Amino acid sequence: MEGIFQYAPAIAVLPFVSFLVALIAGEYLPKKGALAGILATGGSLTLSLVVLVAVVSGHTYNETLYTFVDASETFSLTFGLLIDPLSAAMLVIVSLIATLVHVFSLGYMNDEGEIGLPRYYAGLGLFTASMLAFVFSDNLLMAFIFFELVGLCSYLLIGFWFREDAPPSAAKKAFLVTRFGDYFFLIGVVAVLVTFGTAQFAGSEGFPALAEEALVAGETFHGLGAETWLSIIGLLVLGGVLGKSAQFPFHTWLPDAMEGPTPVSALIHAATMVAAGVYLVARMYGFYALLPTVLAIIAFIGGFTALFAATMGVVKDEIKQVLAYSTISQYGYIMLALGAGGYVAAFFHLTTHAVFKALLFLGAGSVIIAMHHNENMWDMGGLKDPMRVTYLTFLAGSLALAGIFPFSGFWSKDEVLFETLVHALGGSPLLLGAYVMGLGAVFLTGFYTIRMVMLTFHGEPRSDTAENPHGVRWNVKFPLSVLGVLAVVAGFLNPVPIQKLTGAQVDFLHAFLDSAPEATLTNAGHYSDLTAEYAGYGTGYIGGEVMTLLLGAGIALGLALVGAGSAFFLYRGAEPTAHTEKLGRVRTLLMHNYYQDEYQVWLAEGLTVRVARAADTFDQGVIDGLVNGASSVSLFAGDRLRRIQTGVVTNYAAFIALSLVILVALFAVLGGWI
Amino acid sequence: MYIEALILLSLIGAGVVFLAPNRYAGKLAFWLSLPPLLVSLYMYAIFDGSGNALLDGDIAFETFGEWLTLGQYAINYHVGVDGISLPLIVLTTVLVTLSILSAWTPIDDRQSQFYGLVLFLEASLIGVFAALDFILWFVFWEAVLIPMYFLIGIWGGPRRKYAAIKFFVYTNLASLVMFIGYLGLVFGLGDAVTSTGLPEVAQALRAGQLGALGPVGPEALAFVAFLAMFVGFAVKVPVVPVHTWLPDAHVEAPTPASVLLAGVLLKMGTYALLRFNFTMLPEQAIALAVPIATIAVISIIYGALLALAQSDLKRIVAYSSVSSMGYVILGLVAYTVYGVGGATFQMVAHGLISGLLFMTVGVIYNETHTRMVGDMSGLADKMPVTSGVFVAGAFAYMGLPLMAGFAAELFIFLGAFESTVLPGAVVFTAVAMFGIVVVAGYLLWAMQRSLFGPFRLETDYELSPAPLHDVVPLVTLVLLIVLLGTAPDVFFEMIRDATHPVLDFGGDL
Repeated sequence: MEGIFQYAPAIAVLPFVSFLVALIAGEYLPKKGALAGILATGGSLTLSLVVLVAVVSGHTYNETLYTFVDASETFSLTFGLLIDPLSAAMLVIVSLIATLVHVFSLGYMNDEGEIGLPRYYAGLGLFTASMLAFVFSDNLLMAFIFFELVGLCSYLLIGFWFREDAPPSAAKKAFLVTRFGDYFFLIGVVAVLVTFGTAQFAGSEGFPALAEEALVAGETFHGLGAETWLSIIGLLVLGGVLGKSAQFPFHTWLPDAMEGPTPVSALIHAATMVAAGVYLVARMYGFYALLPTVLAIIAFIGGFTALFAATMGVVKDEIKQVLAYSTISQYGYIMLALGAGGYVAAFFHLTTHAVFKALLFLGAGSVIIAMHHNENMWDMGGLKDPMRVTYLTFLAGSLALAGIFPFSGFWSKDEVLFETLVHALGGSPLLLGAYVMGLGAVFLTGFYTIRMVMLTFHGEPRSDTAENPHGVRWNVKFPLSVLGVLAVVAGFLNPVPIQKLTGAQVDFLHAFLDSAPEATLTNAGHYSDLTAEYAGYGTGYIGGEVMTLLLGAGIALGLALVGAGSAFFLYRGAEPTAHTEKLGRVRTLLMHNYYQDEYQVWLAEGLTVRVARAADTFDQGVIDGLVNGASSVSLFAGDRLRRIQTGVVTNYAAFIALSLVILVALFAVLGGWI
Repeated sequence: MYIEALILLSLIGAGVVFLAPNRYAGKLAFWLSLPPLLVSLYMYAIFDGSGNALLDGDIAFETFGEWLTLGQYAINYHVGVDGISLPLIVLTTVLVTLSILSAWTPIDDRQSQFYGLVLFLEASLIGVFAALDFILWFVFWEAVLIPMYFLIGIWGGPRRKYAAIKFFVYTNLASLVMFIGYLGLVFGLGDAVTSTGLPEVAQALRAGQLGALGPVGPEALAFVAFLAMFVGFAVKVPVVPVHTWLPDAHVEAPTPASVLLAGVLLKMGTYALLRFNFTMLPEQAIALAVPIATIAVISIIYGALLALAQSDLKRIVAYSSVSSMGYVILGLVAYTVYGVGGATFQMVAHGLISGLLFMTVGVIYNETHTRMVGDMSGLADKMPVTSGVFVAGAFAYMGLPLMAGFAAELFIFLGAFESTVLPGAVVFTAVAMFGIVVVAGYLLWAMQRSLFGPFRLETDYELSPAPLHDVVPLVTLVLLIVLLGTAPDVFFEMIRDATHPVLDFGGDL
C-alpha cells in the first residue's frame, strides 16, 4: 500500500498536463480541452482516494523529492511531499470539487457557446494542479510558491471575460489585495528559513518542532525573545492567510471576484484559493499552537469576519453576492476554530463548507443559465417547479449553510462553536467575545440563506425569463446531485454530539486526523497538547460536558431556526416585499460594504498613485532638471564653448562632478566618516 | 581559445554584415549570431572552472599573453571566465540572437549598419565579461558605448540625439571617475603589484598591501577609490539619483537596442560593482553598508513608484529596471551566500525578463504605432499570443514563483535578511520587499488598461497577429525564464561557487 505514495506527485501532475494540453491543443480538441480536464482531475480524484485509503491504514509519507537550490554551505531549498491525514483528506476534497466543476463547466461554458474555452480549461487545470501541489507541500517555501500560483490562476480565471471592463478590474483587485497579504507571507517565509534553516512542516526537524525547542530554551532572535519573534513570524505568515481566505480587512476582493465564470467561483470558494489560506494555518498548526497571542488574534479576526460579512449578506440582491459574503463569513468560522484551538473542528467545517458551498455555487450557476445570465434575485421567483433537481439540491446546500439539523453544516458549525465555548470557559475568557460574534453570525446566516432560497425559488416568477427558464442538462444535474447527497450526509463524518451522548465512537474525522504517526508531529492530539501547554487552552463546562454541549447546540440551532424562520415568514407569498429597504441608511451602509472598498481604492489610487505622480514630477523636474538645467545654463553662458564642442558635454561633466560631490557627502554623513 | 573564438566570430559577423546589402542584413546577422551562441553554450557545457577568477580560483578558458609594459606595470592580454562571468556571457549571446530577430520588423533603414553594430556590441560585451586585465577590460568597457550610441542616435525615436548624447556623456564621464579610482589603487599598492591585472590587484588589496599614495593614507585612499568606482558604476547600473539617462535612452532607443541595453548593458554596472568594489574592497563596502543599502532601497521603491506614474509602456518597463537593479545592490551589500549569489542570479534573470518585456512592447508598437497606455485597450482580442506573452512577462517581472525573477528575488531577500554585516538588515529587507507589491500594481494596471476591456485603438491601424519571427524570441524567453525559475541551479550553482570566495575575508564573517 505504501508503494502508492511514489505515484502521489501525479495527483498534481495530471491536471498540469491537462493545462498544457488545453493550452497547446485545446482549439483542436472536441469540447476544447474539457475532456482532458475531466480525465485528469478524475485521475487525481482516483489517486487521491487510493492515497487516502493508504493513509487510513496507517501510512504517511514525508519525502524531499527535488532540490531547488543545493546550497550546502548554508541551507538548501527543496520541494517534497507530505502526505498525512490532513493533506490526504484535503487532496480528496480538492480533486472531487475540481472534477465536478469540470463536468459542470460543460454545461455552463460549452453549452452556452463561450469562446476562449481552451484558455478557460487551461486555467482550470493549472488552478487545480497548483492547489493540489500546495496541499501536499512538505515545506513552507513550496507552499508559498504554489500559493502564489493559485493566485495567478484566480487572476486569469476571474478575468476570463476580458473583453468587458469589470472582470479585468476584479481580477486585478483580487491579485493585488492577496499580493499585499503575500508580501507579509513572503517576509514570513524568509524569516522562517533564516531563523530555522529549514521550512519543513513535519517531524522533529521541522520548523514547528524547532520553534518549540527555541521557546523552551528561551533563545533570543534579533534582540527579541523567542515568543515575540515567533509571534511576529506567525503574524507575517498570517498576512497571506488573511489575503487568500478573504478575512477582514482583506476580504474586499472576494465579492468582486464574482465577475468570473460561476464554476470558477465554486472552485475558488469551496476548494482552492480561499481554502488555501485556512489550510495553511492548519498545515502549520504545530507552530501556531505555540503562540497564544497569535491564536487569540486569529480567533477574533475569524469571529469578527463571520459576523461582519454576514451582515452584508443580508441586503444583497444578486444571488452570487449573497454567496460571496457567506463564504467570507464561513471562513471566519474556520479561522475562529483554528484560533480557539479547535483544529479538528476547523478542518471539519472546511470539509462540509467545501461541499455545500460548491453545491450552492453550482446551483446558482444552474439558475443563472436558466435566467440567461441575469443574477438579480428580484427577477427570479417560482423556479422551484421548473427546476426540480436544482431546487432540491440547492435547498439541501442552503440548510447546510444555515446550520439546520441534521444537514452537514449543523454538525461542523456546532463543533466550531462548542470548541470555542469550552476553551473560553477553560481559562481563556477572551474567546467568549469571539464566541458571541460567532453566535450572532449564526442568526444572520439563517436569515440571508433562506431569504436567498425564497427569493430565487419560491413565489411567482417576477420576469419573463423566470417564467420560461432555460433548461439544463445532465452535466449540470449530475454534479449537483453528487454534492446534494454529500451536503446532507457529510456531517456524519464527525457528529460529536452523538458521540458524547451515546458514547459511540463516531467521531471518525477526529480519530483520522489524530492517526498521524507521532513522529510527524502533525496529529490532532499533539496539537491539543501544544495549545493546552503553551496557549493555556484548558476545558471548562457549564454543568458538565453533555450539558454544555446540549446548551451550545441548542442556542446555535435556535438562532439558526429563528433567522431562517423569520426570513421564511418575511419573504413568503407570491410577491415578497423588499424588507431590507426599510433599513434605510443601515442598508446603504451595508450595500456599500461599510465603505471598505472605498478606503482601499483610495489607498491604491488616491494615495499611492498620487505619491507616484509627485515622485515623477520631482524626478523630471528636480533630478533630471538638474541635468538639463546645468546644460542649458552653460549653453547660455558658454556660447564660445558651444562653438568648439556640442556644448552639452561640459554641462554633463558639471553635473557628474556635482553629483559626485553630493554622493560623497551623502556617504560621508551616512557612513559616519565625518 | 573559446573566448577569442567568441569575440572573433562576433567581430567577423559584424564586418560581413556591415558590407552586406541591406536586404539580406537581417537574415545574415541572425545566422552569423548563431556561432557565438553555440560556442557559448558549448562553453557552458564543458565549463570546469571553480572559485572566483579574481581570488585565485580555477579560471576556465583562460588565455594569457604579454601586451604592453607601462613603467613598472605590465598590461597583459588576460581573459577567462568563472561562475560569475559565464552566465552573463551566455545571457549576452542569447539576447543578441533574439534581439536580431526582434529587429526584423521595426528596422527598415540602413539595416546592414544596424546589424553590424549589434554584432560589434556583442563582441565588446563578451570582452567586458571575460577580460581579467584592467586596461583590456576598460577598452571593451568603452567600446560598448560606441555601437549603443549609434544605435540610439540613428535608429531611435524623435529625441534620439538628445538621448544618445545624454547616455554617452553620462556614462563616459562616470567611466572616467572610476578609471581614476582604480588607478589610484594600483599606484597605492606600489611594488606589491607588477601589473594592472584584476586578480593580482584584488588579491593584493585583500591581503592588506595598500600603501599611501602621496599624502593620502591607505585608509583614505581605499575609501576615495571605493567611492570613485562606486559612483562610476552606479551611473551604469543605474541607481537613484544618477538614473535619469536611462528612461530617455530606453524610450528613444529602437526595441532591439532597448533589449540589449536593459538586458546586458545595465549588468555591466552591477558586474563591475561586484568585481571591483565588493570583491576588492570589502572593508569599505561593509563600512558603507548602511548608505549603500539605503540607496538600494530607495532605488527599489522610488523606481517602482516612478514606473507607476508613467503612461508610456516603454517608460514603465524602463523605470522598473531601476527598481530591479536596486535588488542587485541590496544583495551585494548583504555579503551572504544567497545575497551575493542572488544578486548575480538577478542580473541574468532581469536580463531575460526585461528583454522579454521590451520585446513585447516593441511587438505591440510595431502593430499599433503607439506605446501610450491611454491610446489602446482590449488588445488581447486582436493579438492573443502577444498579449499572452505580455501577461507571462509581467508576472515574471512581479516575481511569480517558478519563474526566474522569483528565484532571484527570493535569494536576495534570504541573503539580505540574514546579513550580519548590514546593520538593520531585517528592516532594509522588509522595506525593499514592498517593491513586489508596487510592481504588481503598475504592471497589472498597465495590462488592465492596454490589453483588456473593450477593444479600442486611437491610431487607426489594422491589427494583425504578430509574425512568427516576432513571436519566436518572445516564447523562447518565456521558456528560458521558466527554466531558470524551476531549476535555478542551472546557473546558481556555478554562481555560488564563484561568489563564495568573495565572502571569505578577514575576521569571523
